[in-house]
Amino acid sequence: MTALEKTAVETGMKTGTKTGTKTGMKTAVRTAMALDKAATVEFRGLRREFGTTVALDGLDLTVRPGELLALLGPSGCGKTTALRMLAGFEHPDSGEVLVDGDDVTRVPAHRRDAGMVFQSYSLFPHLSALDNVAFGLRMRKVRTAERRAAAAELLDLVGLADKGAQFPHQLSGGQQQRVALARALALRPRVLLLDEPLSALDAKVRLTLREEIRRLQRELGITTLFVTHDQEEALSMADRVAVMQAGRLEQCAPPAELYGRPATAFVAEFVGTMSRIPGRLDGTTVEVLGRRLPVDGPAPAATEVDVLVRPEAVAVRADDTGDAQVIATAFLGAAIRVTVRLADGTEVKADLPTHEAATLGAGAPVTVSLPDRPVLVAERTH
Amino acid sequence: MAGLNAGHLNRGRSNLWRWGVLACAGLYFLVPLAASVLFTVDVPGQGYTFDAYTQILGTEGFVTSLLLSLELAAATIAIVLLLMVPAMVALRLAAPGLRPVVEVVCALPLVVPPIAFVAGLGTVLKWGPEHLSRTPLFQTFVAIQNPDFPFVLVLAYVVMALPFVYRALDAGLRAMDVRTLVEAARSCGANWPQALVRAVLPNLRGALLNSSFLTLALVLGEFTVAQLLGFRPFAVWIVNVSGSQAQLSVAVSVLSLLVTWAMLLALASFGGRPRTASAARG
Amino acid sequence: MTVVVTAADSEPVAAASVKRRPRPAGWWAVVPLLAFVAIAFGLPAVAMLNGAFTVKDQATGATSYTTANLTASVQGAYMTAILGSVKLSAVSAGLAALLGLPLAQAVVTSRFTALREAVLTASGVLANFGGVPLAFAFVATLGNSGVLTRQFGLADKGWDLYSFWGLVIVYLYFLIPLMVLTITPALDGLRVQWREAARNNGATSLQYWLHVALPVLAPSLLGGLVLLFGSAFAAYATAAAMVGSSIPLVTLQIADAISGNVLVGQENVALALSLDMVLIAGLVMAVYLPLQRRSARWLA
Repeated sequence: MTALEKTAVETGMKTGTKTGTKTGMKTAVRTAMALDKAATVEFRGLRREFGTTVALDGLDLTVRPGELLALLGPSGCGKTTALRMLAGFEHPDSGEVLVDGDDVTRVPAHRRDAGMVFQSYSLFPHLSALDNVAFGLRMRKVRTAERRAAAAELLDLVGLADKGAQFPHQLSGGQQQRVALARALALRPRVLLLDEPLSALDAKVRLTLREEIRRLQRELGITTLFVTHDQEEALSMADRVAVMQAGRLEQCAPPAELYGRPATAFVAEFVGTMSRIPGRLDGTTVEVLGRRLPVDGPAPAATEVDVLVRPEAVAVRADDTGDAQVIATAFLGAAIRVTVRLADGTEVKADLPTHEAATLGAGAPVTVSLPDRPVLVAERTH
Repeated sequence: MAGLNAGHLNRGRSNLWRWGVLACAGLYFLVPLAASVLFTVDVPGQGYTFDAYTQILGTEGFVTSLLLSLELAAATIAIVLLLMVPAMVALRLAAPGLRPVVEVVCALPLVVPPIAFVAGLGTVLKWGPEHLSRTPLFQTFVAIQNPDFPFVLVLAYVVMALPFVYRALDAGLRAMDVRTLVEAARSCGANWPQALVRAVLPNLRGALLNSSFLTLALVLGEFTVAQLLGFRPFAVWIVNVSGSQAQLSVAVSVLSLLVTWAMLLALASFGGRPRTASAARG
Repeated sequence: MTVVVTAADSEPVAAASVKRRPRPAGWWAVVPLLAFVAIAFGLPAVAMLNGAFTVKDQATGATSYTTANLTASVQGAYMTAILGSVKLSAVSAGLAALLGLPLAQAVVTSRFTALREAVLTASGVLANFGGVPLAFAFVATLGNSGVLTRQFGLADKGWDLYSFWGLVIVYLYFLIPLMVLTITPALDGLRVQWREAARNNGATSLQYWLHVALPVLAPSLLGGLVLLFGSAFAAYATAAAMVGSSIPLVTLQIADAISGNVLVGQENVALALSLDMVLIAGLVMAVYLPLQRRSARWLA
């Protein structure tokens, strides 16, 4: 039995599946860490106001056992507040938080059983990496030798086996967040909470750590909530993404669905790039750029509408008689993003393969067309 | 969002605790001030009277000693800024290697309490009559001890103000990245002196005000050095006059405390209160 | 598990790019400052050192080097004064630290920035502009004919402002504000994340204070204590204006010896006493600076 297993048993936490056969320490740790049954988290009608601002306006959301759910939205949309309510740092004015069906709304933060990784600078500066990880076990009065052994295994799990003696100020930002992750897992929480854990890191480290967190989360099978304002991060890591705006849930769906079939105009424009082209709605079809296309999903009541199109769906062709004009191009590697101004002044973004776009300099006359597929339609906003 | 921290369940209790502490502190710090005011206006046998305050201006020595203190303060501020500002800017721009040296030099007055400093200073002043009476230096020694304007006090006060001024200027310079500022000014066509005067000094205004004020407070309140060297600026005058006119000396004390306070508050509203003036009490 | 550690990940601090820039001959700007300090501070310091180790034969006028002054300065009444100063400073610094911490915490965690500014500004005044006005304010309040003394008949109850505890109460008036000024940046530096991370790891509020907040504050607290001690130890004006020489304090003894109030020819003993003070103050700084550095690293 590893120290972590022992600790787990002695502190009366749920025992891990003890397969017994040790195929190397790390496997053993994971076995010890893996949960019998991952938890379900439910937010029911959460409401919270800070003075005159409404942080949460009736949030309903269910996190399935073992999934990584990303809370995505612009700053101030209430995503962090929701996470902090699950951690017990915020209290709803009304509504409740349930873990595995139990109402935990009134449970104080230190008995929530939810490990949290903060944005940055959350490591205790006077403790070494090892003692930081062992902190929670110390609070539970686990004996020194045991909690150190357990902490060492957790550090190994996040790839910092050799950094145990270092102090936070001696570690890089990425290493600090790894230690914070190990610390959040030390008490074998039922839920893992990540509050923009990568936002303070530089791009390269962010990518590595992103994959790392995802792999660890899969192996442990722990239900995880991940708050981020970075859509790329959310789409690439999460099983499902919950997009929030103004304290409400806009849509909660797997990344592909969110991108391909956004439920609302807000989601459509917040996730990925979207251009609006004016069109005329007529029943279930819309007239846009000189053609008539079927409407995807429910159509708004108005006739004057905007058609929402992704850059990869827009075709741009050089045409001396075209009434649209290229106003800018940006090289993205495999593709070139061309910004085109239509005759009515609307700007549309299109991604073209680099070899096709080679002749399209700024000022070139072009024609713009859409493929013969159903399109998303939204009410005109201006 | 994280800043809007909750704990609203026990907010009531924590506020009670806070107001309790603040009330005790307020009592301890305000009662002596209030009692002092009462002491000056409620004279036994005379009832309530504002004589103590009306007499201040007419009392022998008040005007001269206050003027002397203000003159000393002006001279001290001018000299300490002239010495420190170029040095501190140079440390940032050209001679970062000298920084530890200056840091230590400016901290030295903290290690030597004013009373020890004045003991040494008094000894040096005695060298004049003892060893140098036939040299031109003797004239200098006499000149700096002229009771009308004892320049030797300015020398002492500049030394004593160094730690305050160092901290205030260091904080000001730290907040503004002198190097980039100067380079930006230079790339806009300014020459070196223009860059310093037009770009650096205006941004240092808060720190300069801070330094000046702290120095002013130090000189106005300074008693040890002046008393032991036998001069009579403001603080010494208050003590001298207290023997015969207790009410008057308390009235002047209270007034000087309040005036200093008001000046500091005005400075704080200017932006940047005098932080960590602390260590330099000596 | 394979962990890809990128170069950026493994480097604690990104090396600042040090560019060569054309340098003006800037060091000369520092020279006047150093020259000034050498004269205005260096000469008195040398005079003090020299005087502390010399005696002058009154008859012949010849001087000789000796440690007699230093020996005398740690004996008899002088030793009593040094001990008196140490005791007064230690007691008032300890009390001020104990009382200043909750006050600073109350101010720092307050939501009213105006209150915070007012208290910190007031602290700035009281911590630096004590001295004579402070002494007289207390004489008027708690002195023999002070307002509170008369009002409550304190004199009959054995109250005496011109005593050890009287001085402690007066010293607290500038030491508590000094503590507030010293500890406020440290309290500001305590991150919300630490409290929340501790709670998240199962710590109660008490456990948070015991295992996180106080250990993190420890260097600042100790540093503040040391600074307060030094400040109380060096204070002269307050004591001089209040008690004359009725309480044995080293600063009062030095003043008496310089001005020849008690005995003639004690000037060099005064210098030796000054040297004792410098040594103690130096010790204080030697303890303070490393603490200050550590706390700056933690709370930056």
